[in-house]
Amino acid sequence: MTPQLTAKPGRAPAHTATVRAKEPGGATARNRKRWSVRKRRDFFVFLALALPNLALIAVFTYLPLINNIYYSTLNWTLGSASATVVGLDNYVTFFTSPDAGKVLGTTAIFTIATVGGSMVLGLLVALALNSKVHGTTFARAAVFAPYVLSGVGVGLVWLFIFDPGYGVLSWLLRGLGQQSPQWINDPQLSLLMVIIVYVWKNLGYCAVVFLAGLQSLPKDVMEAAALDGAGNTRRFLSISLPLLSPTTFFLLITSMISSLQAFDLIRIMTPLGNGTSTLIYESYLQAFGAYNRAGYSAAISVVLFVILLIITVLQLRFVERKVHYS
Amino acid sequence: MAINLDRRLFLSLAGAGAGAAALSACGGPSTAVGGTVTQAATINFDGVKPAASIDFWSNHPGKSQDVEKSMIEKFQAKYPEIKINLITAGANYEEIAQKFQTAQAAKSGLPALLVLSDVWWFRYYLNESIIPLDSLITKLDFKLDDFRTSLVDDYKYDTKQWALPYGRSTPLFYYNKDHFAAAGLPDRAPATWQEFAQWAPKLKASSGAQYAFMHPALAGYAGWTLQNNLWGEGGGWSKGWDITCDSAESVAALQAAQDSVYKDAWAGVSSKESADDFAAGLASATLSSTGSLIGILTSASFNVGVGFLPGGSKATSGVCPTGGAGLGIPSGVSKEEQLAAAMFLQFVTEPENTAAFSAATGYMPTRKSADMTAVLAKTPQIKTAMDQLAVTKVQDNARAFLPGADQEMAKAAAKILTQQGDVKATMAELKTTLEGLYTKDVKPKLKA
Repeated sequence: MTPQLTAKPGRAPAHTATVRAKEPGGATARNRKRWSVRKRRDFFVFLALALPNLALIAVFTYLPLINNIYYSTLNWTLGSASATVVGLDNYVTFFTSPDAGKVLGTTAIFTIATVGGSMVLGLLVALALNSKVHGTTFARAAVFAPYVLSGVGVGLVWLFIFDPGYGVLSWLLRGLGQQSPQWINDPQLSLLMVIIVYVWKNLGYCAVVFLAGLQSLPKDVMEAAALDGAGNTRRFLSISLPLLSPTTFFLLITSMISSLQAFDLIRIMTPLGNGTSTLIYESYLQAFGAYNRAGYSAAISVVLFVILLIITVLQLRFVERKVHYS
Repeated sequence: MAINLDRRLFLSLAGAGAGAAALSACGGPSTAVGGTVTQAATINFDGVKPAASIDFWSNHPGKSQDVEKSMIEKFQAKYPEIKINLITAGANYEEIAQKFQTAQAAKSGLPALLVLSDVWWFRYYLNESIIPLDSLITKLDFKLDDFRTSLVDDYKYDTKQWALPYGRSTPLFYYNKDHFAAAGLPDRAPATWQEFAQWAPKLKASSGAQYAFMHPALAGYAGWTLQNNLWGEGGGWSKGWDITCDSAESVAALQAAQDSVYKDAWAGVSSKESADDFAAGLASATLSSTGSLIGILTSASFNVGVGFLPGGSKATSGVCPTGGAGLGIPSGVSKEEQLAAAMFLQFVTEPENTAAFSAATGYMPTRKSADMTAVLAKTPQIKTAMDQLAVTKVQDNARAFLPGADQEMAKAAAKILTQQGDVKATMAELKTTLEGLYTKDVKPKLKA
């Protein structure tokens, strides 16, 4: 029997302690000694397996996080060898600047639109792909393909499509006697443009995960409902959708985190970030764009980190309660 | 003594290890009390031998990779003991700046010589990331008086020379000669924007192009080219360190630009690169860098004309800003590397090399004695760009020296030219932003 590593070493589970109380003292001591040797050996195996990963996580995730929090307390120009400690000044500057509202608003709109769009369209596509018609295998591959494409390549191609001067969309609109909107120069349209491309690129991921969820639904329940006279819509709303809640919950968390960290499309399609500056892109612009405010940028990153943490905790605390796992 | 490695002990050790690692990694910048720039007055290169190998970071301005390789080959033939590694450090000035500043922060991987644009070198000076070139200029006997004065003076600050001109440019007025002829207009650039406003309806009616004029892309360098409009009306982004973008003259200039898009509807705003839009026939005229000249002449299927930038109601001369890039030497590399870099810098700015660079790209020859006969015979339009140098003006401090000002100007321009925002209110907002940038990021580092 392999000891449970999650149990507190040196303290046996309650039922084991009861059994041991009935054993002669010598046997218990021998057992403890044997357990201790085995436990120690297993623990070293555990360390050998886990330490490299823990070290990597510590060095590449937690260490930068701690460093970033430290940098957020500095007035530091990127490239400069010296900096001034300013405490919470960068946070005060961010939250009192007119840009904070714009950036947080853009982040909220982008996240809600991309997560909502990807999930709703992904579900609809999954429902279509779940039907037994010819060509679904090809359609699944085609729908999923954009997700694995390079964001840079996707951004460049769509930029050409949206170009008001000589883009494909502009050409189509001119054929209809219409002028192309200023997709790239108008901040509001820029945000819409990036959202459209992001949803196009990511809905395949949601579709495939939803499709897996749909195909794992118990057929007997659906058949019973059909025999009881429930129509397609009723079966979807009352049976499929609730049973898909673990899938929906999983997608909600992963899509939201992914959306809040979206960078490549924004960088390629709107390098100035005019109208499309989400928290993560604003953080990039402040440090590496033109401002070189490394400390201020670090403070924005910490704000993003805290928002992500709060969202994840809220989701786990409240949304998961609604999830139906059986 | 047996050690009982229980989970609690393990977590304690892991926590202590992570804490130690965190503390040890809290290197970053030193947190001494900040202050003004404290560069050494002169750097002594006596007894220093040039390094055997140096890195040269370039973004190959004006598609200059081939001519850069050619110059390196010639340099290495002359100095076989010095190897120059040409490294593509970005696709534009911003990307090369980003890579350089990241290397500065990491304190490793720095080049010995790099391309730095008109809006970046001053930041490197403030950060003490580049060295003054004066002692190297003296030691290697650069013929500084043969350089074009206005281009060299752009890199002077605090009585020192911080870079030397390389791919230097000005904006040019490009026009479609065929469209102008069809509209019955003279074969020249307009003297003023008011004159072009009279020409524009005729151009639009007869050319078949979408626009009579294409404003340069805002995400590019709107702050650079818009200085032409501002100066023509007696305004500007700033005068010295005083921000003047909200003055009546500046507002009038930008109002006229907005009217060209909305009220009079003869101008468009480029989404990516106005030179490409112009070459593709989308507009009858545009403003773009002299560095775009060769590209436009190569790709346009019509006769291309070039001219000086139009003036305005207040000024018809001195309305063209200088721009482009120079070469600088980082402070974070060895003196041996700095010396080798200076030798290469001297070589690429020699008259025959600057002429070759100019022929390949359309950028200005930086030396007065550069023999441009062959170049002008092949590309006579370069002469217009060279002649315009005599009437150029040094850029406004706000655009050239304030970190992030170019982005803020581009955003303000987008609001005015693509969202029909209120010009006066937008400029008032921009003024507040630019003053904030000066107060926070520049003023504390300037010597009194």
